[in-house]
Amino acid sequence: MTTTDGLATPSGTARPAAGVSSELRRRRRRADNLRGWLYCLPFLAAFVLFLIWPTIYGFWMSLTGTSLAGTKTGFVGLENYAEAFSDPYVWSSLLNTVWFTVLSAVPLVIVALVLAVLVNIGLPGQWFWRLSFFMPFLLASTVASQFWVWMYNPQLGLINTVLGWFGITGPAWLQDPNLAMISVVVMTVWWTVGFNFLLYLTALQNIPDHLYEAASLDGAGRWRRLISITLPQLAPTTVLVLVLQMLASLKVFDQIYQMTAGGPGGDTRPILLYVYEVGFTGYRLGYASAISYIFFFLIIIVSIGYMVISSRRSVKS
Amino acid sequence: MKHSSIFSTAMHRRLDRRALLRGVGGVGAAGGIAALAGCGSLSSASAEEISFWHLLSGPDGVTMSGLLDEYMATDGAADVTQTVLGWGAPYYTKLAMASAGGRAPDIAVMHSARVPGYAPGGLLDAWDLDLLGEFGIRQEDFPELIWDKMEVEGELLNIALDSHPFVLYYNTDIADEAGVLDSDGLLLPTETPEDFRDLALELSGAAPSGYGLSFGWLGDGMNQWRMFYTYYTQMGGTMELPEGGTMQYQEEIAIDAIEWILSLIDGEAGNPSHDGGTAISEFATGGSGAFFGGVWEIGSYRDEGVPFDMTMVPGVFGPPTAYADSHSFVLPFQSSPDPERRRAVHALVAHVLKHSLAWADAGHIPAYTPVVEDPAYQELEPQSHYADAIDHLVYDPPAWFTGSGSDFSTYFGNTMQNVWARRTDPLEGWNAFVGRIDDLLAKPSPM
Repeated sequence: MTTTDGLATPSGTARPAAGVSSELRRRRRRADNLRGWLYCLPFLAAFVLFLIWPTIYGFWMSLTGTSLAGTKTGFVGLENYAEAFSDPYVWSSLLNTVWFTVLSAVPLVIVALVLAVLVNIGLPGQWFWRLSFFMPFLLASTVASQFWVWMYNPQLGLINTVLGWFGITGPAWLQDPNLAMISVVVMTVWWTVGFNFLLYLTALQNIPDHLYEAASLDGAGRWRRLISITLPQLAPTTVLVLVLQMLASLKVFDQIYQMTAGGPGGDTRPILLYVYEVGFTGYRLGYASAISYIFFFLIIIVSIGYMVISSRRSVKS
Repeated sequence: MKHSSIFSTAMHRRLDRRALLRGVGGVGAAGGIAALAGCGSLSSASAEEISFWHLLSGPDGVTMSGLLDEYMATDGAADVTQTVLGWGAPYYTKLAMASAGGRAPDIAVMHSARVPGYAPGGLLDAWDLDLLGEFGIRQEDFPELIWDKMEVEGELLNIALDSHPFVLYYNTDIADEAGVLDSDGLLLPTETPEDFRDLALELSGAAPSGYGLSFGWLGDGMNQWRMFYTYYTQMGGTMELPEGGTMQYQEEIAIDAIEWILSLIDGEAGNPSHDGGTAISEFATGGSGAFFGGVWEIGSYRDEGVPFDMTMVPGVFGPPTAYADSHSFVLPFQSSPDPERRRAVHALVAHVLKHSLAWADAGHIPAYTPVVEDPAYQELEPQSHYADAIDHLVYDPPAWFTGSGSDFSTYFGNTMQNVWARRTDPLEGWNAFVGRIDDLLAKPSPM
């Protein structure tokens, strides 16, 4: 037996040399560790500088009355938090964010799945479908928003013009309190569904063919195979997609800021837009930080929920 | 374009002979060559470098660049580097943060109505009136209503370049066809609300779109506020926003003003539900008879070639009023300002004010009276037809959250949109607005 064999099977024949080699190994590991940390250093520096420190500093600010001008930095304790909890606009915008998340997360999962399954069936020109479903995701939020602002335009927009051909007077999509949020959601689905679609497509292509072959031999039809093989095999991806989607939807800001600015009547204003209004146009950075921290807490809960679900799943399997 | 929310950042820098010479001087020094005869003249010509931030994009930005180039061509002028940021909140937040972070530009443009809310944060330094006097700028060169906005608590904090009121545009061909022009080709005067409505209906009859008046309000709180405040103040309404108190206003007048505007956007006299872009394109393509809007649309209408003239929004409830704001120059706070640079900034402002006839071309009324009184300005059409507005200007009521591009008009739009859309009762919408503003007044100014 050579030493390499001994290393490969530590409980085997290498025992006599154990003292020396473990000392050697430990030293080597320490050197490796040091080198590892060195490699991580650039990232760590950026991580501490741009994430850890702002997080701590932001929390400190939330306990002060700091203004955008850097004045009134005195400690006010939990005053900002107390104000936030009794501020109706915090609650209404938080509710809007949750409502947007519910409205958008469901279609963004289902539509992505349907698109991926359709493409995976083997339609001719697969590359074309893949490209067209994914392409909107590559657009900047400003571009995507402007597209839809014009399409939704009540007088000149594409949608109402087409409706007009059928004698229907289309509504003001982005200005009608009953339609504005739905309109933003439709735009968001079009814009971002490509990412989930790609995750699903990858997962679909990773399902082993022999499962389908075996099922076919047992006489399972297309539908049966979809229900009994494809969907169960996609379950882990669905959990991932759903959680990523919820986190993304909770952070909604760009398209709403550009399409409705939170209107009409604050009906589409998400919590982050309110934070922006309070902190930047309203000069109250301290108070805005406090609202951010309440929201941060909410996101942590969602993330922990995901970790619990996914760790249970891995224990089961 | 100027009042859109499109973000734009552009740097404009002039590389003139002087800068080139300095560059050559630098190379020479690096090469270890002693500066010879040219040394003296080089150092005296080594101009101050001034950084200038503003929010003037589109045609306004081009005009401003032209004025700055002219200034830099004068003797002993400083070099000005412009930084142009997106109009509204993006600009103001960056200006405040740069000032708070000790990296303020030497000079910046603000809207006058925003200065009272911005100043208590200590973010602005005062102008030196004596120094301005050296360059020929005096208090009596400004209309009283504008000067009032330039001083905040006794300190001269901003120097107005212009005022840009909310006015009435009319299509001269359509108005002619409708028979509402006088012998000079100007819109017939209207004395009463009924007169004005009749005139609008005449225009509707002659307008291809069927709308006498175009007014874009949908999703545009700022424009809703401009229209409302024009008529509210014309009816004699006043508004005060005392910190720690509640909004002071006349409810009856407010409701009357709202009802009046609703009667104009009824689908007969004017369009019922246009957004800003639709109203502009309707008027620009010759579709409607008249258009309510800010003077800054002049450039786009001229480019479109639509035949038009302008007038103040007619005073049919009382003397006319012109809702306005002013672009003005401010000195962002610097802990130890360089006296020479400050001097150069004063000279720059004096130069731009005296040459603001070019600025008038874009529709703004110059704040510097000698320019307005100049025959050259009086010959400008349609600019001279609404120049009387400077005696009837109304600005936003002062508070830390008011002024162009602030949250104030956003809240007005948020709460009043459904009133204009006829989904909510005027009083209900108005009370929601008052409630929102009272919430803000209850909190101390954050600055």
